[in-house]
Amino acid sequence: MMKKIILYIIAFISIFSTSCVKEDEFDNTPEGNFEALWKIIDERYCFLDYKQQEYGLDWNAVHEKYKKRISSSMTSKALFEVLGDMLGELHDGHVNLYCSLGTSRYWKWFEDYPKNFNDSIQRNYLGTNYGISSGLKYKIFENNIGYIYVESFSNAIGSGNLSEVLNELSLCNGLIIDVRNNGGGDLTTAQDLAARFTNKKVLTSYICHKNGTGHKDFSSPIAIYIEPSNHIRWQKKVAVLTNRSSYSATNDFVNNMSFFPNVTIIGDKTGGGSGLPFSSELPNGWSVRFSSSPMFDANMNQIEFGISPDIKINMSAADILKGKDTIIESAFKYLVQ
Amino acid sequence: MKRTVFFVAFSCLYSILTWGQTEKNDSVPQNRFVNRATMYGIGLTKILDSYLSPSEYKGMELRFLRENIRMTNIMDGKVSSQTIFQAHAAYTKNDADTGNEISTLFSWSYALHYHFHLSPNFKILAGPYGQANGGFIYNTRNSNNPAQGKAYINLGASAMAIYNFHINKKPLLLRYQLNIPLAGIMFSPEYQQSYYEIFTQGNWKHVIQLTSLHNQPSAFQMLTLDVPMLSSTMRFSYILDIHQSHVNQIKCHTYSHSFMIGLVKNILIIKNKDKQISRSPLLY
Repeated sequence: MMKKIILYIIAFISIFSTSCVKEDEFDNTPEGNFEALWKIIDERYCFLDYKQQEYGLDWNAVHEKYKKRISSSMTSKALFEVLGDMLGELHDGHVNLYCSLGTSRYWKWFEDYPKNFNDSIQRNYLGTNYGISSGLKYKIFENNIGYIYVESFSNAIGSGNLSEVLNELSLCNGLIIDVRNNGGGDLTTAQDLAARFTNKKVLTSYICHKNGTGHKDFSSPIAIYIEPSNHIRWQKKVAVLTNRSSYSATNDFVNNMSFFPNVTIIGDKTGGGSGLPFSSELPNGWSVRFSSSPMFDANMNQIEFGISPDIKINMSAADILKGKDTIIESAFKYLVQ
Repeated sequence: MKRTVFFVAFSCLYSILTWGQTEKNDSVPQNRFVNRATMYGIGLTKILDSYLSPSEYKGMELRFLRENIRMTNIMDGKVSSQTIFQAHAAYTKNDADTGNEISTLFSWSYALHYHFHLSPNFKILAGPYGQANGGFIYNTRNSNNPAQGKAYINLGASAMAIYNFHINKKPLLLRYQLNIPLAGIMFSPEYQQSYYEIFTQGNWKHVIQLTSLHNQPSAFQMLTLDVPMLSSTMRFSYILDIHQSHVNQIKCHTYSHSFMIGLVKNILIIKNKDKQISRSPLLY
């Protein structure tokens, strides 16, 4: 009887030990790290099919192209450069490779376009006597137009702070929300701000996620609504100022605001960045960030490459020489109509 | 006094182990004695959670375990109940030492074991158990997938082998226990679903999954040695705790080896409430 029991235990352990749940492992060599990175993007990046349609991205062809640049004797610096160049093929500001050497990035989505924002000229408008509250800079201009500069959505905007700011600006004829050079941050912070500018629940976007390793393995999109805030809500006209550096959560904010009837988007197309980024890592410990969950506008249009403004205008060289911000001036003209 | 206490304690444990083989020779029912052990341990752990990283993280683990065993009246008193509460926390790093993961897990299990007496010194216990687990793994470097919540409930099979023997007339108790979850439910985001989508947008589709051996091949194994020392009983344990899952295309495993040490107490439960008060040390 004892022998049978021991045999059963040994058999069970033998069977059990072959049921190990493990991930595919790659060697910590230049070749291994290259293959690991290529596989992470191949299985987890959410815009491969979309970008194939937009500009012919072929991730298999990218593998063949960059594999030739990998050698077992290459230095870490050389490997970082090759892997960074490979990730650059994705044309995505949410794709970065991080290591002690540096951070790889693709910034052409704003580098190749006019800046359309100048903080020295902004200082001409704000002066020295402006309000600062919960990361917001705000002022009432002499033409009774209110102005709020939202530099980032990385930190939460206190609801009490925002209510006080909107209350302070409540007698203004119109409001400028300037999100130029706002690189994004927290989605819920951006959505909480947008909620101050609608009186009813509005469908503004959709989100889905990858539910498998295939390029087409996505969940059904779920609708995202902006519900009116229970705190002070702005009721008059709003001009949202954008440039190519309005990215990520700011892109989502502009998308949400674009569906409200009293809001007009003025400036340049936003930089885009509609993929909610996730992180992973390579065998050598380098961290990689990549777009994981795509967001769409309320009509299921892609907004990865940006949202076009209602009024397209650049800061003119002549105005810059005069210390004037053409985009703010356009917003003034629109709001005082 | 100490010898008397030790003798009573050992008698209780011996009675639990040899129940059915020897006649009852004390007037107190066996199910009034609770064998309780509290143990603290340290060990090594390996963690994989492909939602956070494809790399395995390794490091040190601290573990706490509280166990209660008592006989019941089920099936003519041949069934014992066992509750185990565990809490463990680990601090791990990847092979390249560029990132860390912090993990913690609380689990509580309840088992019923039928006693099969194979010889005066050896018996096998077997029966069902239920377990609830809750915890998390936190990766210190990640962006929108910084953490993974762990919440799962299982029903499974539990077995023990108990052998009592003597070395230099000192009574020792060796025990091996194996728990295997057979069916359960588990919380798991889909492959690359963000917690923003689950909790802020309320998309809970496919997030609760059924589990069994095919997608949760796990096992809890414990080897203990009880050694009487002075007026107490010390318990030395080795635990091999294997948690694995492959749910929603997310691969997870935690392999923990822990060495634990603790004290065993045998507690007599006095049922009659008047006797409880009259025998309270507070009245002495």
